[in-house]
Amino acid sequence: MAYSLLLSLLYLGMLCGNGLVSARSELFTPDPSRGPHFTGCRSREQETFRCWWSAGIFQNLTEPGALRVFYMTKHALSEWQECPDYTRTVKNECYFNKTFTQIWTSYCIQLRSVRENITYDEACFTVENIVHPDPPIGLNWTLLNVSRSGLHYDILVRWAPPPSADVQMGWMSLEYQVQYRVRNNSHWEMLDLESGTQQSIYGLHTDKEYEVRVRCKMTAFDNFGEFSDSIIVHVAQIPSKESTFPTTLVLIFGMIGVVILLVLLIFSQQQRLMVIFLPPIPAPKIKGIDPELLKNGKLDQLNSLLSSQDMYKPDFYHEDPWVEFIQLDLDDPAEKNESSDTQHLLGLSRSGSSHVLNFKSDDDSGRASCYDPEIPNPEDLATLLPGHSGRGDNHPLVSRSSSSIPDLGVQQTSEVKETPIQKQPAVPSWVNMDFYAQVSDFTPAGGVVLSPGQLNSSLEKKKEEENEKKIQFQLVSDGAYTSENTARQLSANVPSSPGPEQGYQTFPTQAVEGTSERGVPGCPPSDSQMPYLLPEAPPSPILPPVSDYTVVQEVDAQHSLLLNPPSSQPAICPHSPNKHLPAMPTMPMGYLTPDFLGNLTP
Amino acid sequence: MNRVKVLQAWLWCVSLWPCWLSHAVPLDCKDETGSLIQCTSISQEKLLDRVIQHAELIYRVSEESCTLFEDMFVPYPLYALRNQGGTMCHTKPFPIPGSKTEIQQISDKWLLHSVLMLVQSWMEPFVYLQTTLNRYDDAPDALLNKTKWVSDKLLSLEQGVVVLIRKMLDEGILTPSIFEHTLTPDDEPSPEIPESVLRDYNLLICFKKDAHKMETFLKLLKCRQSNKLSCLSY
Repeated sequence: MAYSLLLSLLYLGMLCGNGLVSARSELFTPDPSRGPHFTGCRSREQETFRCWWSAGIFQNLTEPGALRVFYMTKHALSEWQECPDYTRTVKNECYFNKTFTQIWTSYCIQLRSVRENITYDEACFTVENIVHPDPPIGLNWTLLNVSRSGLHYDILVRWAPPPSADVQMGWMSLEYQVQYRVRNNSHWEMLDLESGTQQSIYGLHTDKEYEVRVRCKMTAFDNFGEFSDSIIVHVAQIPSKESTFPTTLVLIFGMIGVVILLVLLIFSQQQRLMVIFLPPIPAPKIKGIDPELLKNGKLDQLNSLLSSQDMYKPDFYHEDPWVEFIQLDLDDPAEKNESSDTQHLLGLSRSGSSHVLNFKSDDDSGRASCYDPEIPNPEDLATLLPGHSGRGDNHPLVSRSSSSIPDLGVQQTSEVKETPIQKQPAVPSWVNMDFYAQVSDFTPAGGVVLSPGQLNSSLEKKKEEENEKKIQFQLVSDGAYTSENTARQLSANVPSSPGPEQGYQTFPTQAVEGTSERGVPGCPPSDSQMPYLLPEAPPSPILPPVSDYTVVQEVDAQHSLLLNPPSSQPAICPHSPNKHLPAMPTMPMGYLTPDFLGNLTP
Repeated sequence: MNRVKVLQAWLWCVSLWPCWLSHAVPLDCKDETGSLIQCTSISQEKLLDRVIQHAELIYRVSEESCTLFEDMFVPYPLYALRNQGGTMCHTKPFPIPGSKTEIQQISDKWLLHSVLMLVQSWMEPFVYLQTTLNRYDDAPDALLNKTKWVSDKLLSLEQGVVVLIRKMLDEGILTPSIFEHTLTPDDEPSPEIPESVLRDYNLLICFKKDAHKMETFLKLLKCRQSNKLSCLSY
């Protein structure tokens, strides 16, 4: 209750009384329109303070002594006391010395006219709130650095606290504010408050004169003191030609170096750049076979090219040709009854419905080559086969015949064992890689374990390269049919070295052997009559074939293949193909593809 | 994997070593039984410097709080209140001299005890101040944070002064004096805004003054420690 009363009284007092000494003390602004009033109170060092007043309008009170100042501290037992010291030298000033100055206590002063006993003005304050410190002393500056361009520089400004302020004891803790401006400019740049006694100024321009000044205030208070005297800061611009000279030189040399590098680069990469910047105009493309491709293209590329034309069916060459033909006729019991698989395997001698040749198959639509006018009528050939009834599809063993000739011709295995279709039913002289099954092992029971053999293509490849060009040209010329002569030539190119060569070297022997198996054992080979035979050296044909290949003699009930022993090589019977053709399957009987084997075995 | 784990554990130990160190030697130097022992981990000068830093910070923050409060709640005509330095501050058990000469004559012991007394006298009012400030609808967060901060710092300042007393005066711990504050927290459901505003404003002003006192005393103490001659009055 009492507290609230006091508060309200205080509030009223503030409202009524003119709070002269406010937080931002206005000083030395006597208001002529008013009566006698205090113009301000100040303390310099928090140890003494002074107050000034003005008579105002009432000019009759200007004589000294007419107005008197009374003060009171908010201590207990305090009463109004008169100003301890009226300064003689200064008019209307009341000076409170150390003994009368107390901080942390509130003072109230009154301006009274004793004669009239009127209180004209009253103000209350605490001493620390009216402290305006003296300006710092000893302001000086030192150059910190100059920028590389020589246009800017930084300085460090130092000063000392005012001597009147007892900073050392901690009686006053000061904060400083530095201001600077270009000389004769009206705007001062203000820096942040600094509690130390030095400050750096950055970014000053050379050849400009600057004014720097500093002032201070008490920490946590708002009253700044007066400014110190300004100092002039000036740094002359040093024309640093030496620093610029090397840089320009470096630049020039750098540019020259870059240009040289570019020129070298262009000259070294001339061709490539020519292509990039001046691409060659593409020549008109004529549909056909690119001669470049023929020169150094791969066979299967050429194959694809050729096959893209109407003559050939592409898919025909990409699949295993054997697979197409090998179709076990399991659905037709009648067929089965007629001939077993083995019969089919072994050939025409067993059954009459063996269709070794499959010249014509209904699903074989792309075999136009088979019906090339140059080639004798397939029907004629077909009639050679016994029991040909157009059931070529059913035959498990299908000869590749003529259709395979171009295929072989264009394949990598360039051992073109083509058979001249004209002379005989197309004895396939193919050298298909899948065509041969390599004997890998013998079972004790006499069976033979076959594995898909890979032709030892090292030698073949060599022959390939030799023959490729020729073959391809021949193919092109003859429509993928090589004549007998060319076949002979091609085969003549083949080195006649026997030995463990797989492939067509032994093939003819086997074929012949196969034929001999049937009919004419011990017949000597004859080059002229068996064009597909290699014109080997006489001794060589009799050489036993490599142990990798052997003729399948029989397939017994257990589906094991009985092969002839390699040693027993009856003479190759080079009978006229016409004679043996019917008995001889165009497909080498001794050779089975693994797929075929797979079909056979359950 | 064991090696990795051992290494990790070792690294953790090493990284936490400074924490252990700091925990191992608390500032108030209490041993297991609770009795105080001489702190040897920090020198007297450093401790005094740290205490002075605390006091300076508290003083600055008190001034900022005053300004914040003023800007927010106090109408302009009442700014003069500030100038008066808080007329309604609670009185102390013993008067503190205000003149420089008198203060310079105060003994070290008296200075330290005054500081301690001042610190202890303001702990409770600040708790009260926090609750009242929370009642205002639009009290700025900065103000609330500052008052909270001051409360925390007062505690640590008290700790430091106690240690200083022990070090400099070789006295035992003092029981904290209980001051009866004239300002009692009001639990009015809806206090009148002007009254509470005035009260809080006065509180802040008084605290600022007392913080200034603390800082001045401590600085004088430091001056005396370093250079006795210049700190004495002529």
